[in-house]
Amino acid sequence: MSAPGSTNPSSSGSYSQSSTPNGGAAPPRQNGPAQTYPSMYASTGYYGPPPHQQSYPTIPAHSTSVPNKTSITNSAQSANYYENNHQQQHHVYSQQPFQQQQQHPPYATPGSYYGQQPYHGVPTTVQHPQQQQNPSLVPAPAVGPGAPLYPIVSYPSVPGSGQYGTLSPSQSTSTPGVMPIQMSAPLHQYNSSQPTSTPPVHPGYGGAPPSQMVPTVNGQGTTAHQHYDPSHQAPQSYDSYGRVTHSTGGPAADRPPSGTPSTSVHSSPGHHQGIYEIQIFKFQCLTLNVSPSFSLPYSGGETSSSTTGSASPLPNSYDSLEGGSYPDSMPPSNDMTNQAQSYSSYGYHTMQPAYRQGPASRSDSSPSHDLYGQPSYQQYSQPFPDLSQLSAALGGLSGVPELEVEALRPVNLLQERNLLPPRPLEAPEPNLSADLRKVNCSPQTFRCTLTSVPQTQALLNKARLPLGLLLHPFRDLQQLPVITSNTIVRCRSCRTYINPFVTFLDQRRWKCNLCYRVNDVPDEFMYNPVTRSYGEPHKRPEVQNATVEFIASSDYMLRPPQPAVYLFVLDVSHNAVEAGYLKYLCDSILENLDKLPGDTRTRIGFLTFDSTIHFYNLQEGLSQPQMLVVSDIDDVFIPSHDSLMVNLKESKELVKDLLTSLPAMFSQSRETHSALGPALQAAFKLMSPTGGRVTVFLTQLPTLGAGMLQSREDPNQRSSSKGVQHLGPATDFYKKLALDCSGQQIGVDLFLLSSQYADLTSLACMSKYSAGSIFYYPSFHHLHNPAQLEKFQRDLGRYLTRKIGFEAVMRIRCTKGLSIHTFHGNFFVRSTDLLSLANVNPDSAFAVQMSIEDSLADSSLACFQAALLYTSNKGKRRIRVHTLCLPVVNQLSDVYAGADVQAITCLLANMAIDRSISSSLSDARDALVNAVVDLVSAYKSNVSSLQQSGLVVPASMRLFPLYILALLKQRALRTGTSTRLDERVFAMCEFKTQPLQQLMRMVHPDLYRLDNMSDQGALHLNDTVVPQPPLLHLSAERVSRDGAFLMDCGNVFYLWIGKCCNEMFIRDVLGCPNYASIPPNMNHIPELETPLSERVRAFLDWLQDNRAFSSTIHVVRDDASAKSTFFLHLVEDRTDSASSYSEFLQHIQQQMSK
Amino acid sequence: MILLTVIARVADGLPLSASVQEEDQPGRDLQQYQSQAKQLCRKLSPQSPDHCTLEAGVMNFHYLIEEGICYLCLCEASFPKKIAFAYLKHLHNEFYDQYGGKVSRVTRPYSFIEFDTYIQKTKKTYVDSRARRNLGSINTELQDVQRIMVANIEEVLQRGESLSALDTKANNLSSLSKKYRSDAKYLNTRSTYAKVAAVAVFFITLIVYVRFWWL
Repeated sequence: MSAPGSTNPSSSGSYSQSSTPNGGAAPPRQNGPAQTYPSMYASTGYYGPPPHQQSYPTIPAHSTSVPNKTSITNSAQSANYYENNHQQQHHVYSQQPFQQQQQHPPYATPGSYYGQQPYHGVPTTVQHPQQQQNPSLVPAPAVGPGAPLYPIVSYPSVPGSGQYGTLSPSQSTSTPGVMPIQMSAPLHQYNSSQPTSTPPVHPGYGGAPPSQMVPTVNGQGTTAHQHYDPSHQAPQSYDSYGRVTHSTGGPAADRPPSGTPSTSVHSSPGHHQGIYEIQIFKFQCLTLNVSPSFSLPYSGGETSSSTTGSASPLPNSYDSLEGGSYPDSMPPSNDMTNQAQSYSSYGYHTMQPAYRQGPASRSDSSPSHDLYGQPSYQQYSQPFPDLSQLSAALGGLSGVPELEVEALRPVNLLQERNLLPPRPLEAPEPNLSADLRKVNCSPQTFRCTLTSVPQTQALLNKARLPLGLLLHPFRDLQQLPVITSNTIVRCRSCRTYINPFVTFLDQRRWKCNLCYRVNDVPDEFMYNPVTRSYGEPHKRPEVQNATVEFIASSDYMLRPPQPAVYLFVLDVSHNAVEAGYLKYLCDSILENLDKLPGDTRTRIGFLTFDSTIHFYNLQEGLSQPQMLVVSDIDDVFIPSHDSLMVNLKESKELVKDLLTSLPAMFSQSRETHSALGPALQAAFKLMSPTGGRVTVFLTQLPTLGAGMLQSREDPNQRSSSKGVQHLGPATDFYKKLALDCSGQQIGVDLFLLSSQYADLTSLACMSKYSAGSIFYYPSFHHLHNPAQLEKFQRDLGRYLTRKIGFEAVMRIRCTKGLSIHTFHGNFFVRSTDLLSLANVNPDSAFAVQMSIEDSLADSSLACFQAALLYTSNKGKRRIRVHTLCLPVVNQLSDVYAGADVQAITCLLANMAIDRSISSSLSDARDALVNAVVDLVSAYKSNVSSLQQSGLVVPASMRLFPLYILALLKQRALRTGTSTRLDERVFAMCEFKTQPLQQLMRMVHPDLYRLDNMSDQGALHLNDTVVPQPPLLHLSAERVSRDGAFLMDCGNVFYLWIGKCCNEMFIRDVLGCPNYASIPPNMNHIPELETPLSERVRAFLDWLQDNRAFSSTIHVVRDDASAKSTFFLHLVEDRTDSASSYSEFLQHIQQQMSK
Repeated sequence: MILLTVIARVADGLPLSASVQEEDQPGRDLQQYQSQAKQLCRKLSPQSPDHCTLEAGVMNFHYLIEEGICYLCLCEASFPKKIAFAYLKHLHNEFYDQYGGKVSRVTRPYSFIEFDTYIQKTKKTYVDSRARRNLGSINTELQDVQRIMVANIEEVLQRGESLSALDTKANNLSSLSKKYRSDAKYLNTRSTYAKVAAVAVFFITLIVYVRFWWL
């Protein structure tokens, strides 16, 4: 329907296929160059027969900036782009060995999916000069036909010129768009250094079965393959990743014959940026700013150049949306749709009339009664008009407008003290139409810091709030639609999976909601397996659910799906025996042996270490396990190949034998050294053929062999003013190892049970980069610390039985104009936006920071899609796709109304942690305080019309200062108190990986009073009454001696019993006659038959519900020593080193007046 | 040494099960062979010869097609062909017993990946030279191994592709020539116009000149 989309095919078809598809939908930056070349050839008539094209000499000069390598591809009318390309390249470059590395990029990436590129950052820089030199290495023959063209190809100007009329203004190149391409070029080149990994030549276009529509080996992940689309429109499927490879492939293809010096001139800046960018991703650091406030995403500098994508495609999409009908029947008036109209009919403004509940005067034409459904989302309402209108009406009545206005109510923090809502804060509802809201992704899975996305970066900067996503992609789900189909429908240009927020232009075409490209609906998709009806593509489960899972075809695999493989690496040094974890661990594994996720292929192995490494031969048929000791820790080798990792089903008896005897085997050990590094190397060698999960149990600082560490913590300096040191790793051994592991699809999980300093900073690297998880039990001892022991056992129970995904990759896509620049969590960033996760577990979360590169003015919705491709423990390759849809707003007040204070706090915490590692802790703390100051002043100067004194914030953000204060008092970021370095680092790791709900409970625990719970507002679930006591502020003034208070800190509950607490409560709930008889270390609530006990337990169970790791409970008496831990969590109060809430507010006020 | 075993459905090349030998020599990279195997499975059709050996450098692919199922293994070139085919035959017997009925119905790739366990065990008996002796039956059973077709993997994989490449090039040529033709026509027209215009201008000038100065 969009003009260029339809005109291009005809006009440019004869020149170049690649230009055609881009017309309508592809990002403009790519468009320009793609079309430029063909039209130039055409214009001058130099367009030679295909064999000559490869040596076409002019292009190389610009090849770096021109992603499309058109000289080769454009001739591919209907040809399989892949094979064409592939063969030709081979042809040419086989004589030029040094070009090999460039030549292969597109193929190498998938190859390296199984990891042939261990370290990106450093080698890239090495690679880089080499690449630049290439042109100069080749003599530069001014080859005839190309030479005359040469001057014409001035890069920026040509696209506009569009001699042949194929270019609409919207398609002119925007430089920023090209940039990412260049950035990643070096990366790919490094990847490509393995020419052997050239993947299969895909079958020619003749005999390809339908499933080969997407012959990408790892389509969702492995970018490079995406454009080898053998189907008709081959070249159009470049998405940004596709382009990446093109840009590398381009030079490779084009450069050698020409070698004009200008090539290097052109390419160098791009490559420099590339390196810079990669480094950023590699270390996942913040974009550093000199000032201590967080750099809210890229300032416009790089992106300043024109965003000309406005002209054609986008408004059209909303034309059709608003018209709600097929293009041919579209009323002409819709063509005039402009911004204002689309907002008024859909966005926030529409709410107000509804709020007023009257026939409000409306300036525009949208029908005021059909606020939600009709005007903007006809598309959806069409299939089921009754339902949608009903829900639209309901939506109008449901009080959302009140919420919106409530969210904007100015709150003077100095006056209002009772800020907490009675119930724990829910995620704000995005201001969407009821239909969309109904299908939107659950906030537990996918959450954005601003549920109303600002239209421009300028607006975002003005709001002084970070824009980012918090993701919990592999969360345990109650219900999940699983889709098996031969073709997974994806956008041809950006590879987005079809989702509820796409629009169907008609029965046969759909428009991508991320890049706005119009795609065909494949035949298979017309059939709906749920209703068994034909011709209703909009009712397919993919289009009805924002979270779906696809069973992937073999195109998404590079090797047969791996089995579930588990290796346990156990510390058996004297220290470990002393701590006594071994017995409990073995018991736990024994107990859960049958529940380990897997199938009949599941394999298991054990490896123990002290100063030597012990392997266990568990080969089926042995009468008992054999221990093999390798004492050469400098050069570790694997003593036996196929008997160390054994099939669990077949060797189960031997495994059980080993687990029962293991604790006793080392009870007499006097060996105090720990050779962790060599043990990990051995584990890597054992696992590298298959990949899988390595679980490391460690009780002390590694002291032998590779990766040995020294104690770096000086307890006397903990509270010194010099700030916290040693937040960075002491050695890169663990990081390198983790990257090797990640390349072989091995995830390393660490259980640290140390009572001494163990340099978690360095050790954590092994899990961070291999997408593992970290558990830490400070001062673990099986007798002296029963609380830790219980936690350890509970965690193990969950850990061993929880779901697991292997050889996973995740990619997050977002609407054109938005870009992701920083990722937080445990993973390795393989290419600019591909997270490689050797293992993925349901308890880890991720966060990303985003910036707005192009104005989003053309759309009223912004969408985000996270796709996680993994192998399930049953050997199924699956893709889990989450899609989130949010409104775009252009008013600052709307941005504030949609701010999600919890998500913002969590994202800021992640940023602060990066900052504290890259800069210093005090810097990070200052930045957090400044975030509050910035918000308050921005709100004051821009939105608040009231000239009242004091600290005024929008109600949606009223808890922000409180949360920031709580963050500052968190173990990870606090100063002054004697926080042990390992505990601090562990808290930092948790911030990076815990899901939002859990994190918020850790930062700002929920406090309830339990002794006077009433049934008011209680929930009734399956015959049990769950009382809902109101939340209390975390201040000692709310805690009274005559009550019992429950504090929910996420992974631990504290039940504080006041001195004068009601005796009946103590008797009925705790089962003790009076206060004095409560035991000091009480860790459970007895199951008593009293009504009060039942209600308390019902409430506790309800709180525990849906929590991955069950929490332990500590009963704290007013006089016990544990009291201090309880009071430490009362963050609104003053502590030795940190200010109280009111002092904090005063501090903010002072900062503002400065 | 049998390095890789793949079982696939011939009709559409859907992989059903596979087993990858763990590497004792970490240097060797099987990736390339894996992808070749994958392509090969897609290339095969019911018309393909049902016993075939394909040479791929230092390795050989051997495949066997029975009952619409292809059994493919990758061996070192030195590995006896006879044993390789006996191994494939053995796999077929077991696989067909266990899953034969379900093969035509599955849509998910690697649906019978659990067969991997059996493959690995079988492989061991065939690879181990001592155990091999016990399989005396092979020697007699397997007739004329010599007659098994030998081809080069590259040839098989690229068969048809050169054709399609040619096709592409021809298409390109024809479209280019069409374009050239239209361009030429355009140019011709233009030059004709130019000539006509020049002549017209000349005559007009002449007429004007004659009209005003001569008369």
